[in-house]
Amino acid sequence: MTVDSPLPLHQYQQGRSLWQDAISRLRQNRLAVFGFWVVTCFILIALFADLIAPYSYEEQNLDLGASPPSSAHWFGTDTLGRDLFTRILYGSRVSLLVSFLSTVVALTIGVLWGTVSGYFGGRLDMIMMRIVDILYALPFTIFIILLMVVFGRNIYLLFITIGAVEWLTMARIVRSQVMSIRNQEYIDAVISMGLSRPRIIFRHILPNILGPVIVYTTLTIPGIILLESFLSFLGLGVQPPMSSWGSLISSGVETMEEYPWLLVFPSLTLSLTLFSLNFLGDGLRDAIDPRSARE
Amino acid sequence: MSILSIENLSISFHGREGITRAVLNASFKLDKGETIAIVGESGSGKSVLCSSIMGLLPMPPARIENGTIEFQGQNILTSDNRQLRGLRGNRIGMVFQDPMTSLNPYLKIKNQITEPVCLHQRMTAKAAWPLAIAMLNEVGLPDPEQIMNLYPHQLSGGMRQRVMIAMALINKPDILIADEPTTALDVTIQSQILKLIKKLQREYNIAVIFVSHDLGVVAGIADHILVMQQGQIVEQGTPDNIFYKSQHPYTRNLLDSIPVRAKTEKFIANSADTKPLLTLQHLRTWYQSNDNELFRSGRNLVKAVDDVNLQIFPGETLGLVGESGSGKSTLGRSVMRLVQITDGKILLDDRNLAELSASELKLYRREFQMIFQDPYASLNPRMTIFDALSEALQIRGALSESTIHEEITLLMNDVGLDPASIRKYPHEFSGGQRQRIAIARAIALKPRLIIADEPVSALDVTIQAQILDLLLMLVKKNQLTMLFISHDLSVIRYMSDRVAVMYQGIIVETGDTESLFAQPAHPYTKTLLSAIPLPDPIRERARYRQVNVKSSEPHITP
Repeated sequence: MTVDSPLPLHQYQQGRSLWQDAISRLRQNRLAVFGFWVVTCFILIALFADLIAPYSYEEQNLDLGASPPSSAHWFGTDTLGRDLFTRILYGSRVSLLVSFLSTVVALTIGVLWGTVSGYFGGRLDMIMMRIVDILYALPFTIFIILLMVVFGRNIYLLFITIGAVEWLTMARIVRSQVMSIRNQEYIDAVISMGLSRPRIIFRHILPNILGPVIVYTTLTIPGIILLESFLSFLGLGVQPPMSSWGSLISSGVETMEEYPWLLVFPSLTLSLTLFSLNFLGDGLRDAIDPRSARE
Repeated sequence: MSILSIENLSISFHGREGITRAVLNASFKLDKGETIAIVGESGSGKSVLCSSIMGLLPMPPARIENGTIEFQGQNILTSDNRQLRGLRGNRIGMVFQDPMTSLNPYLKIKNQITEPVCLHQRMTAKAAWPLAIAMLNEVGLPDPEQIMNLYPHQLSGGMRQRVMIAMALINKPDILIADEPTTALDVTIQSQILKLIKKLQREYNIAVIFVSHDLGVVAGIADHILVMQQGQIVEQGTPDNIFYKSQHPYTRNLLDSIPVRAKTEKFIANSADTKPLLTLQHLRTWYQSNDNELFRSGRNLVKAVDDVNLQIFPGETLGLVGESGSGKSTLGRSVMRLVQITDGKILLDDRNLAELSASELKLYRREFQMIFQDPYASLNPRMTIFDALSEALQIRGALSESTIHEEITLLMNDVGLDPASIRKYPHEFSGGQRQRIAIARAIALKPRLIIADEPVSALDVTIQAQILDLLLMLVKKNQLTMLFISHDLSVIRYMSDRVAVMYQGIIVETGDTESLFAQPAHPYTKTLLSAIPLPDPIRERARYRQVNVKSSEPHITP
């Protein structure tokens, strides 16, 4: 066997890393790119709602009442004559903020908890998972009402409480994934190379469990948006005249037969966001898996 | 008059990636009472061919391009589902590769074995009972009445395969299709099952189609051998013609790939004045099976490794051979401290590795490296080859970027891979290539001992031979010390200077390879050696003249 001279350096350096590869693969996925832009648009809308909105969110026009879509009010107005378009714009603030922040909370706790529990196993795993089971058993609504009563109604508390409930499932998913990856021979191989534990976890285990984590995250977000509307309905979330998509939809349902646009427009907005998030999530999952690369 | 004739059969799969031709213009005839062996490597189309005879191909994506399959004058390809169901399990019986998954774990043996009778002969389960008992007797299972009332998990692999054979034969079919029936079994069990199939075939005058990747296995039982490569039957003939007068280069390649020779260049371990590199003293690794973490109970103690004493000398290759469950892999993993050892000493440079703390252990770990069995599981699928190798190199110390590049190029050349492909991910390589990458990673750390745990048993024979030769070359070039673990005696013989035989957690015999193979002292070693299938039809046939086909396994596994 002859030994060739090493390849010139630059040939190595144009090499790809997992994340560079992932981004280039994501770009090729049209649906994911579409989803990415829609989500970005909604984030911008949420940030600059007061600049874009044609009316103020509390401005009522009782003479107008509930009017169907027109050139003055694109999405129509509600029973108090408030512009629906404006309320949807402002509603995106609460809805997106709640869903993203709560998801971040759920992700952080869930992934950490699940990883530690799944990687170290044994008695520690047993204790950690029993804690999860106990929290599962707590009635969620009572838990939130208790927190609200103790700490007062506070939108940031809402994020934390929702996140603190949603991480339970995430921890279980992560734990089972970590356990199966932990038993793969490549983990034994890097242990026997003498790699440190954090390095094994961050370099070899976490990238391999991202797929299910991303999918579950995109499934959590719609759940949280609806959960928020449920809490608002109980008087624990946002209160009118401030709006959220969830609260708009639930009040739209009440007047569905007389004023259908009050249900249709908020629902369409929510669906569009959820579809986009799912497209983006699926695209991300495929993109970080080198096996899905199209030859 | 042949009972099955296949004419000019072509099968292809139409998938998203295009058309794959699985079988190309295959023709053969099967006579009553004849045994045809179909031999080929993975992907050669042998299993697809078998499934088509049973009408079991998933269509689509499978498509019959041309040809006919005729079973006793009935065209299988044009038969409808009802007609096919009349044949399956009735006129044609089938035995699958993995006895662990081919029986329903939720049903007792009695429900499964009587099912084909009840179905095809319209008998009640009660009426079928004596038939089932007789059949279990026929396949050499002791105490059939008791076995009928057991669940599959209570039986060992060999016994389950006997049950599968009993099920396949209970309706006295004309054809028995056996798709790699012994591949998942240990070598001693394999030889029992082969003898059983041969005996039953003679008794019932059944035609057998025996599919295998192993030429040695079919040497004694086949009347006719078909060699398949990439969907084509490249050669067919009697065993004597195939083994002694083979015409086709692929068949000869297959035959040459079976490691029959012993290692040629011997390392001479002069134990009198050479200090052993590694010494194992009274090593014990016991497991608590059925582990309840909260309430530990002392029940179900599995002594995977029990009181093992072993020495490995620098520069030698020590072969560790044993059947599944003998504890050979656990021994390798105990030395690596990948599993918690119960007791004993692992001495390297007079230091006891068993006593090291976790942080000390991290430094010592690089002295030993491991090559694993499954090349699909031993590489992180999300890391390029470059990342995997440079990670290993960086453990040796802070190396400059250019040194890493040079080293990786050298490593890739050493293991016979193109250095230009280092930016690829593991899934872009074949099984053999991945095993080469795993080897490169192991030698990258310049370890003092390599533990190779079944490094070739997941590979096809021709690839197997290449990897073995690569390992031999690297051992010689880098003067590596290796603990080579395998269940395959011929591979062990090919690779090792000394051999240790392991049985139920204990080393029963150690010795120089040649003398151990020539004159085994321990009865277990003798059984093991006599069970190896040889690629030699004349010697293999002699083996089948013995009559004992009883199951010699421990009766019921707990």
